[in-house]
Amino acid sequence: MPLPEFTRSTTFQWAIAIAGAFATGTLVLFGFVYWETATYMTARIDSVIGSELTVIAAEPPELRMHLVDTRLEGDPRRIKVAGLFAADGRRIAGNVERRPSDLTPDGKPHDIEIVRLDVRGSEPQMIRAVALNLPDNGLLVIGRNIDELGDIADIVERALTLGILPALAIAIAAGVLLSLRAQRRLEAVVQTVRRIVAGDLRERLPVRGAGDPFDQLALIVNGMLDEIEGLIQEISGVGDDIAHEVRTPLTRVRASLERGRENAATLEELRAIADRAIGGLDKSLAIVTALLRIAEIEHGRRLAGFGEVELAGVMHEVAELYDPVAEDRHVQLDVEATDIVNVRGDHDLLFEAIANLVDNAIKFTPANGRVELKLLKHADDIVIRISDTGSGINETERDFVTRRFYRSDKSRCTQGVGLGLSLVAAIIKLHGFRLAIGAGPGCTIEIIAPRA
Amino acid sequence: MIELPEGKTLLDGGVSPTSDVKVVPAQPRTERMTRVLLIEDDDETAHEIVAEMVDRGFHVERAASGRTGLDKARADEHDVLIIDRLLPEIDGLTIVETLRRDQVRTPVLVLSALGGVDDRVRGLRSGGDDYLAKPFALVELVARVEALLRRPTDTRETKLRIGPLELDLIDRIAHRGSRQIELLPRECRLLEYMMRREGQTVTRAMLFEEVWNYRFVPDSNLVDVHMGRLRHKVDAPGEPPMIHSLRGSGFVLRAPA
Repeated sequence: MPLPEFTRSTTFQWAIAIAGAFATGTLVLFGFVYWETATYMTARIDSVIGSELTVIAAEPPELRMHLVDTRLEGDPRRIKVAGLFAADGRRIAGNVERRPSDLTPDGKPHDIEIVRLDVRGSEPQMIRAVALNLPDNGLLVIGRNIDELGDIADIVERALTLGILPALAIAIAAGVLLSLRAQRRLEAVVQTVRRIVAGDLRERLPVRGAGDPFDQLALIVNGMLDEIEGLIQEISGVGDDIAHEVRTPLTRVRASLERGRENAATLEELRAIADRAIGGLDKSLAIVTALLRIAEIEHGRRLAGFGEVELAGVMHEVAELYDPVAEDRHVQLDVEATDIVNVRGDHDLLFEAIANLVDNAIKFTPANGRVELKLLKHADDIVIRISDTGSGINETERDFVTRRFYRSDKSRCTQGVGLGLSLVAAIIKLHGFRLAIGAGPGCTIEIIAPRA
Repeated sequence: MIELPEGKTLLDGGVSPTSDVKVVPAQPRTERMTRVLLIEDDDETAHEIVAEMVDRGFHVERAASGRTGLDKARADEHDVLIIDRLLPEIDGLTIVETLRRDQVRTPVLVLSALGGVDDRVRGLRSGGDDYLAKPFALVELVARVEALLRRPTDTRETKLRIGPLELDLIDRIAHRGSRQIELLPRECRLLEYMMRREGQTVTRAMLFEEVWNYRFVPDSNLVDVHMGRLRHKVDAPGEPPMIHSLRGSGFVLRAPA
């Protein structure tokens, strides 16, 4: 017969283990109590019979008989034993049937078995006894029945049985109950997870509100599910976006090729159409490339390229790269980065992020405007600020910019593939930095790196 | 997407390579023809590459699988190998590694659909000399093959001279005839790169990779703007131009005719 399901639960197994340990502990404790009691009682018996022996042996022979008899009087529990034997082994007084042959007469206590004689007849008894040879070659035996010790053992045993069995039963019952309860909660979780795996991402693990570890775990998992659900929604939204963004130029390419095939009269016209088509294809490909790059960065595969990056240097490089472009557009590009500040990161990626932001800033700044690239050292962080005198990003859109894949720059981005800020966000996230978009007059974007 | 070379028209027939074996180039050349081995399993891609390269006067041999490609690369002398990374039987990088182990030093251009930075690093580490991610423009491919064939040999020279143009790499000063040209550091590197590749097409991506050392191409026309500056300095009004823009492909520096 297979064991019931709950016996496999950890709770149950723990309950059994603890019950076992408890039982063992109790046994040891009771054993100790018994052993201590028995030792104490034996010592007391030994001292009593020892002193009686000494007292009686010291008396003259006729008094001894009397004393032995007196000793045996008033013994309702029939535990006192005494015997006085003549040199030839004949019993003179006492309640011991015959001279015990296996009792060494050395005055020290020994455990022996004797036959007790009294008014109620003869009866074998285990006794603790001392014996001493008398000057007249007789033998004096003083003893005490030790069945008492057995009684104590019985009492201890009974107490043990009464105490330990219910305790064990309670422990096992609690184990079964707890494991059944855990089992039921686990079952509920398993069912929920199955539904989630089957595709119902809105499901959440049950939380009782008791704040126990099970609830805490459920809360963490639910938090994770929220994040996953959010991501999946974003990605499916992005999927639509990508399809749309890639399809638009492809549709144009298709239309222009179709018209070109029908209408182009000269090679020049055909070439112009082919050029436009190639341009459109390049644009679609650029979108795909940009998305793959964002994915590459987001998967964090580039952490291997991390090292110390000197930010001011990177910023000057970017400025050098974009200076001619800015000049062509009559935009003033200023860099203010004198402090030597190192951060941990990927030089090329940081360059790319800053370059993208500067590229955007220059594009959206009208002629005679200004783009500023500044490195700020604050108490807790390092800020790379890119500000321009362009149109800025309106407040409602600001929140979306840092969100993955969201093409917030729709209004600002009239050309290019419009994934620049998503790429920047991915790079910033990989580095564990923050991106902040500030208020106008123009647009201020800050890359905030914690100070090492 | 075949880019037609200058002066060629669609109507004069061009060249249509029919098979994946040896293709006889259209224009006979006096010097020994450059022999190219293309290892690419996709027939259409291979067809376009072969057509373009034959038009440009290369002698192209194609292998459609890794196994035959490796055999051909070992059997014949080639001037350059173009190897696709994902191939049946033996993958491209293994071929490159095998050849390098066998002490074959022929320059290799690796083609790959994997365009990640790490993919690129791996491609170059296995022994490839250049790495081109698919999809690419055919002009880009040809420009890179030419760059591999004519790699500047002596880079220790500190003075370069092409026609009337002279560049002093130590003082970062150029002269065109008697006219002195002041150059910014980056312009100097750009001009040096162009002068070492006289008469050779250099694409925007090549310049960005080699002169700026960056692997990403920003979507603005950055390189053009920088090149415009340089051209403005090198080709003063009235002087015959030396730096030429090639529509849809890149730039070339030539001594004035």
